[in-house]
Amino acid sequence: MPSLPRRTWASALALSLAVLVTACGGEKDTRPVITYSGSAVGSQGETVRRQIERFAKLHPAIVVRVQPSPDDATQRHQLFVQWLNAHVGDPDVMELDVIWTSEFAAAGWIRSLEQYSPVRSDFFPAAIEANIWDGKLYAIPWYVGVGLLYWRTDLLDHAPRSMNELVQQAERAMRAPGGPPYGFVWQGARYEGLITTFVEYLGAFGAEIMNDSGKVVVDSPDAIRALTFMRDEITSSHIAPPEVLTWHEEETRFAFQNGNAVFMRNWPYAYSLLSDSSQSRVAGKFAVATMPAAEGGHPTTALGGAELAINSYSEHPEIAWELVQYLTAPEQQLERAAATGDYPTRKALYDDPRLAKALAVPIAQVRTAIESAVPRPVTPIYTELSGLLQIQLHRALTGQTSPADALHEAARQMNAVIRDSGLDEREVSQ
Amino acid sequence: MSARNESDVRLARLLVSPATIVIALVAIFPLGWTVWESLHRHDLRLPWLGQPFVGLGNYARIIHDARFWGALGHTAVFTVVSVSLELVLGLIFALAMNRAFRGRGIVRVAVLVPWAIPTVVAALLWRFLFDSQAGIANALLLDVGIIDEPIVWFVHAATAWVPIILADVWKTTPFVALLLLAGLQNIDSALYEAAAVDGASAWRQLTRITIPLLKPAILLVLIFRTLDAFRVFDLIYVLTGGGPGTSTEPIALYAFNALLQNLQFGYGAAISVVIFLITFGLALVYIKGLGAGSATGVER
Repeated sequence: MPSLPRRTWASALALSLAVLVTACGGEKDTRPVITYSGSAVGSQGETVRRQIERFAKLHPAIVVRVQPSPDDATQRHQLFVQWLNAHVGDPDVMELDVIWTSEFAAAGWIRSLEQYSPVRSDFFPAAIEANIWDGKLYAIPWYVGVGLLYWRTDLLDHAPRSMNELVQQAERAMRAPGGPPYGFVWQGARYEGLITTFVEYLGAFGAEIMNDSGKVVVDSPDAIRALTFMRDEITSSHIAPPEVLTWHEEETRFAFQNGNAVFMRNWPYAYSLLSDSSQSRVAGKFAVATMPAAEGGHPTTALGGAELAINSYSEHPEIAWELVQYLTAPEQQLERAAATGDYPTRKALYDDPRLAKALAVPIAQVRTAIESAVPRPVTPIYTELSGLLQIQLHRALTGQTSPADALHEAARQMNAVIRDSGLDEREVSQ
Repeated sequence: MSARNESDVRLARLLVSPATIVIALVAIFPLGWTVWESLHRHDLRLPWLGQPFVGLGNYARIIHDARFWGALGHTAVFTVVSVSLELVLGLIFALAMNRAFRGRGIVRVAVLVPWAIPTVVAALLWRFLFDSQAGIANALLLDVGIIDEPIVWFVHAATAWVPIILADVWKTTPFVALLLLAGLQNIDSALYEAAAVDGASAWRQLTRITIPLLKPAILLVLIFRTLDAFRVFDLIYVLTGGGPGTSTEPIALYAFNALLQNLQFGYGAAISVVIFLITFGLALVYIKGLGAGSATGVER
């Protein structure tokens, strides 16, 4: 019996000693600390941690911390905005979604990188364009995501060369005995994914959301044609099931993976999952292409991906820049491509045989897709404009209003928000 | 008033002061701050605008905001429909549970299960039930022959309301039933015996004895449920996200969008204040009604 209190005492003593030692250790460490914050889950998180540990070993005079942030883009955006409003100095380096750079730059929350003279021409032009505000570069493209058209090689003999051909191919394959129930599945729920799908149709019909001078042109006749075409896929040719209006990336992948669709619009991540014959019924029976164009347009893919930027309130911007350079260097991009399937942003890597080996998707198709990528409007109030447009698109696609009325209303609301935001015409157009 | 009385009052004030301070800190201060915020243009994403004082500008904007009025309409319809259904079904359940039968205790506990499930979990469950391909709702309707092909519930403005209302009724009817059951048990059984002796039918007993004497409990249910239903958020957030378009968006979800999605703190605060005023007004009306209701109850 007396042994119990003695043991308790001993452990209490050990604990207090441990606390004391750690406290002393903490006091002695006066090395500068820099913090990275971004997606920290799955293979992406593992790769980033590994790379950051290596960076820390190369720079023993610095402590590098990883500050996890929500994986959900909307939540991370909200958190970053709250931190930056409070002028918090960490995280020093932030992973931004491609649509946030101009917003953060205009607010003065991230540093212009011009003083470090980054070489813009090393990267794909669309990825650079998305990171420029007021003529200055504010973030380095880390990896790119592009919309791809997945098609079934067992049902079709070639990828569609036009939008009309896509519809015809889908109809024919659906009608064939044992044909799949769906022709084309894409992301049509009311969320950012709907805008990326819409951007691809817009490009295919030669339209855009905002033109080069920052004017809202989303209700142009070509844009109305594009939205009408999307709606007709659901209501007249029936190649797209009405369910797509509630679907995100994963629901479309499940449909395609189970062999239920001829075509799917999705990001590159789906490729390796679809190739896995243990869970996919279409392994070895599909290929990717760029979305085709209609008359008067050009094949277009929506640009996604992530950027690295430096907090304006960072106490160690020089070290932060070192970290950004390290993470976006060719070696690290190759490592990331092999581990996660994310596409590098450096053009030169696409001539490197190591990248061809690292990626599951044939590299020539990746390159074509990235070269036809267009960024979504580069404006600080993008998320709000996108929210308004999402509602109107969804209203038109669910038959609550006509495509023309929906887009006129969207344009009216977007213009009102722009007028109200205090951005003058020059600034919106950067 | 004697000195003794005055010192009593002083002591009483001293004793309630901690509670008063806590209420002031957690309820009144945030409310005041929200009102103050609602008088400013404060947009986190447009820091170059600063936080100018705009007076009632945000409220003027609300008046011309079609999406706000739409959301208010959706909330009102949702509240009226779901609370009415819950009241009727809850009363039926309460009457059934008030009868003496074997296993009554177990039934009373079992009925509470839906109410104990977290709303978000319940919403996901109902989303699954109403899935157009794999959902049981379509399977049932197809089997019975009411429909020829599956309904895509969440794509049409009208059908998207069905799972929302059903989920809310399923989840909160037990709560209503239990409150009404408590009320039923307060009714003196001698009244029914006397009515039976006088030859009153069961229906007459229900309309002349049960419902009038249940009025205080019914008003209590209405207060709780109307105020809850008016602030509906999580159920719809998970089930439809307010879609298709914004046709199932309730007012609380719109406020959430303005505040946390678009980070418009000033405008979002103004919407929140309006929601507060409406619920506060409803509560006042009900409390008045409840006071009258219990007074008549006592009289009888």
